[in-house]
Amino acid sequence: MEFFLQQLVNGLTLGGVYALIALGYSMVYGILKLLNFAHGDVYMVGAFAGYGVLVAFGGPADPRIPVVTLIVLMFLAGMLASGILGVVIERFAYRPLRNAPRIAPLISAVGVSFFLQNAALLVLGARFRSYGTARMVDPATGLQWGPLRISIIRIVVILSAVALMVVLHLLVQRTKLGKAMRATAFDREAAAMMGIDVDRVIVATFLIGSVLAGAAGVMVGLVFSRVYHFMGFVAGLKGFTAAVIGGIGSIPGAMMGGLLIGLAEAFSAGYISSTFQNLIVFGLLIVFLLARPRGLFGVPEPVKV
Amino acid sequence: MAVLELRGLTKRFGGLLVVDGLDLSVAEGEIVSLIGPNGAGKTTVFNLISGVFTPDGGDILLDGRSIVGLPRHEIARRGVARTFQTLRVFLNMTVAENVIAAEYASGTVGAVRSFLGTPAARAEAERMRAEAERRLAFFGERLVGYRLEQPAYSLSYANRRRLEIARAMATGARLLLLDEPAAGMNPAETQEITRLIGQLRDEAGYTILVIEHDMHVVEGISDRVVALDHGVKIAEGSFDDVATDPAVVEAYLGKGGAATK
Amino acid sequence: MPEIGTDRWVAEFESRRVRREGPWGRLIEWSSRRWLWLFAGAAIVYPFVIGGDFGIRVGVNALLLAMLAIGLNVVVGYTGLLDLGYVAYYGLGAYGYAFLASDQFGIHLPTPVVVAVVALVVFGVGLVLGQPARRLVGDYLAILTLFFLQVFVELALNLDRLDLPFVDGPVSITGGPNGIAGVDPMEILGFRFGQVRDYYFLLLVLVILLIVGVTNLARSRTGVGWRAIREDTLAAEHMTIPSGRLKVLAYAFGATVAAVSGTVFAAVQLGVFPQNFTVALLIVVYAALVLGGEGSIPGALVGALIIAMVPELLRTPAGARLLFYGGLLVAGLTLVRPRRRLAVIVPGLLLFGLAVRALVAGIWPGLVAAETAGGVDRWLLRFSASADVVVSVLFVVTIAVALAAVAVRRRRVRDALLILGVYLLVLVWENRLVEEPSITRQLLFGALLVVLMVARPHGLLGRPRVEVV
Repeated sequence: MEFFLQQLVNGLTLGGVYALIALGYSMVYGILKLLNFAHGDVYMVGAFAGYGVLVAFGGPADPRIPVVTLIVLMFLAGMLASGILGVVIERFAYRPLRNAPRIAPLISAVGVSFFLQNAALLVLGARFRSYGTARMVDPATGLQWGPLRISIIRIVVILSAVALMVVLHLLVQRTKLGKAMRATAFDREAAAMMGIDVDRVIVATFLIGSVLAGAAGVMVGLVFSRVYHFMGFVAGLKGFTAAVIGGIGSIPGAMMGGLLIGLAEAFSAGYISSTFQNLIVFGLLIVFLLARPRGLFGVPEPVKV
Repeated sequence: MAVLELRGLTKRFGGLLVVDGLDLSVAEGEIVSLIGPNGAGKTTVFNLISGVFTPDGGDILLDGRSIVGLPRHEIARRGVARTFQTLRVFLNMTVAENVIAAEYASGTVGAVRSFLGTPAARAEAERMRAEAERRLAFFGERLVGYRLEQPAYSLSYANRRRLEIARAMATGARLLLLDEPAAGMNPAETQEITRLIGQLRDEAGYTILVIEHDMHVVEGISDRVVALDHGVKIAEGSFDDVATDPAVVEAYLGKGGAATK
Repeated sequence: MPEIGTDRWVAEFESRRVRREGPWGRLIEWSSRRWLWLFAGAAIVYPFVIGGDFGIRVGVNALLLAMLAIGLNVVVGYTGLLDLGYVAYYGLGAYGYAFLASDQFGIHLPTPVVVAVVALVVFGVGLVLGQPARRLVGDYLAILTLFFLQVFVELALNLDRLDLPFVDGPVSITGGPNGIAGVDPMEILGFRFGQVRDYYFLLLVLVILLIVGVTNLARSRTGVGWRAIREDTLAAEHMTIPSGRLKVLAYAFGATVAAVSGTVFAAVQLGVFPQNFTVALLIVVYAALVLGGEGSIPGALVGALIIAMVPELLRTPAGARLLFYGGLLVAGLTLVRPRRRLAVIVPGLLLFGLAVRALVAGIWPGLVAAETAGGVDRWLLRFSASADVVVSVLFVVTIAVALAAVAVRRRRVRDALLILGVYLLVLVWENRLVEEPSITRQLLFGALLVVLMVARPHGLLGRPRVEVV
């Protein structure tokens, strides 16, 4: 039972991270119908920005400022760096291709992804970098329920993931910008004709999606304490899968999909440790897609006549 | 015998009854016009006949055999071809290729022989090409000559409508469903299309069911006119009968309309 | 009343037509009609000109990529099915060859039999796995097929310790991460393929046959049907085209082409390894197709040749420099308009370099490496090894300046940014990039994809498309 609960906590942590990444995929897809393959690398840059702040303030063992302030600063830096990067990518790699054939921005996205990965490799080297969280925060602090222990870092990560998603939800449902985003996702041309500045909405979408990815990058750094130039690929694939499971384009879908993938990964790592683990996961995904091509929350597209 | 017969055709979208127990029959060589205000269900009737939607009730008979539930390409193969209200030519293909595409069913050569370029494959490709040029010559000079090799997106609106008709003819169909063939055309072009539809029947022998809003066109071509409103047939008969039918006038102009006329 | 269907434009077309003039124009017209002959001629001469095994090996890779790109063109360019599992079939072909012609199972069938069996089996697999293409459209099919590829890679990696009933001990089917080594070379009609050159010519024949075949197909009702489906599936169905059947056929056709090239790949490499068939290769194939222009066969060919051959120049510093400065020159001549602005930019660039050099050498002498002889070094800063961080920062700054130069509209500012950007680019290039050829290759590949897509979204030889969403 305690093992089960431990895996549940692991799954929720992972799930929160995947959900944050999946949201970026889904939001961009919803508005531009673009599979933004560079999104995973935006997340990688966020993780490195957090690492940069950590080093700049003296490193995990001996920080010059209080740990809480440091972590907040790391989050801010990661989100800021990713946010700016996302907007820059949109401006230079996707906007000129707004009316190009569907496959052109896809290739452009792949190009951006290659570029970012190798730029990081060139600048930072192939070495793994460690956040050294254990030296920054005593791993023993946290909640303790009988045999179950949840470290304070995991609590912070889960709570901040939830908080970000709540903020996003309010933003999309309650604000004018959110309304504009929904309208643009529904029909870009019509939205433009109704006086919505579509370019600004798209920039905002990229900004929000990338900020969430940056936060996810810092979270992963804090929990798993390992960042490297290629980390965006695997995480991107998982986040993307989560977005698809939830129904790509759907915001609640991305959240649910992320949680599902995170939980599935934690439990399968805990209970079925076989060589065929990945195979089973992909097999299930294929069956799922065949049964529900639009995911959990996707709406089938009507026949246009 | 009737080429096309609709029996109690019914279609619902959600809770909305779009076509409600429609009976209609079109005889060989007849031109029947389907009129009615916007939202009357005319295009839905076309979509039901050509297999875009499956009806919720009733039957569609082509030459006495039901075509309900058949795949769309099979319905087309059996002789029902259509044009679209919102033009749907293959924009990035040439004019000639648009028509060749519609000759698919007339071909017999499979992919393997085509890949190998056997004499039969070459002969078939040439035959299809000649056939396409013949179909397009039906429209005079408009779609021949250099236009054969032009991408369809370069065509004017009226020429795209003509191309859609040529494409429908090329399927080898006997029944044409024309969805607003004169929409968006200028008066001269409208006149031309009216005469063309007449020729389609008189010279090429097609049976035609047409949706049209332009009453001059309807008057000029129709053997029979059927008026729909809210998915229900409200009048049927000659143009003059239907045009003066109080129910039709009311459907178009509202209740007060008949009095002020 | 005017006669039906009279049309002034059609009647007067010949008199209004503009043709390409002059010898240059005639050359373009001629080569656009006779491109296959041009390609065949150049490709036959290539191994003799290039000499050396390495150059021919590059040629083999280019031809393999060309086959893949032309096969993919049928699936993506004609039919519009975004198949992200495509390279799995390349892998299936390679593993199929390895199963039937190596010591793995002790089976050594004659090459034609192996290739025929592999082609038929993979065609069948394609027919089965292509079924979802009937229902799923666009990106959903893309995602599904991407999972197919992942499954294939997982199978190749993990089918090496399989416990089977009635067999003692674990059985290795795919050889796991180590793959299958010691695959037989090909042998056709008694001719044993010994050298890379033999495979080069075999592939050349295959590529030309494939081009002729696909061109034939494109003119047939099948090919026209494929393109109609991509344009408008519903309208195509109303025009008697059985869209489901044709989609599956296109998918299986692409799979078969990939599988046949896979058999040759396995034989050239004398082995198969799972890491040969990953997303990285998929990206390369797509890049080749889209760079050349999807929907165009010469486009797929040219794209494959560029993608496979140009990066090879980066292997040596001399080749890399040639490519880099050549690229700068071409970019300068084509992108800077009007050209007389170059009269400001080039001297500005030279002066700026000298000034920076003098300044830095005066203030932080420790940063600059001891002077080396001649060439670029008289103008450019050369950092000592301890200044690695500076170069890294400058690299990021270079990107920022380059992007700013693209975005700024004011002429003066733009020229200044251009001077700064080019200077920084050369600086970073000479101090770092040229020494890290493998990273530089990938960086340039990524940047090239973005720049080319932005500059020419329909590819080099593709036609611009009109898409109604």
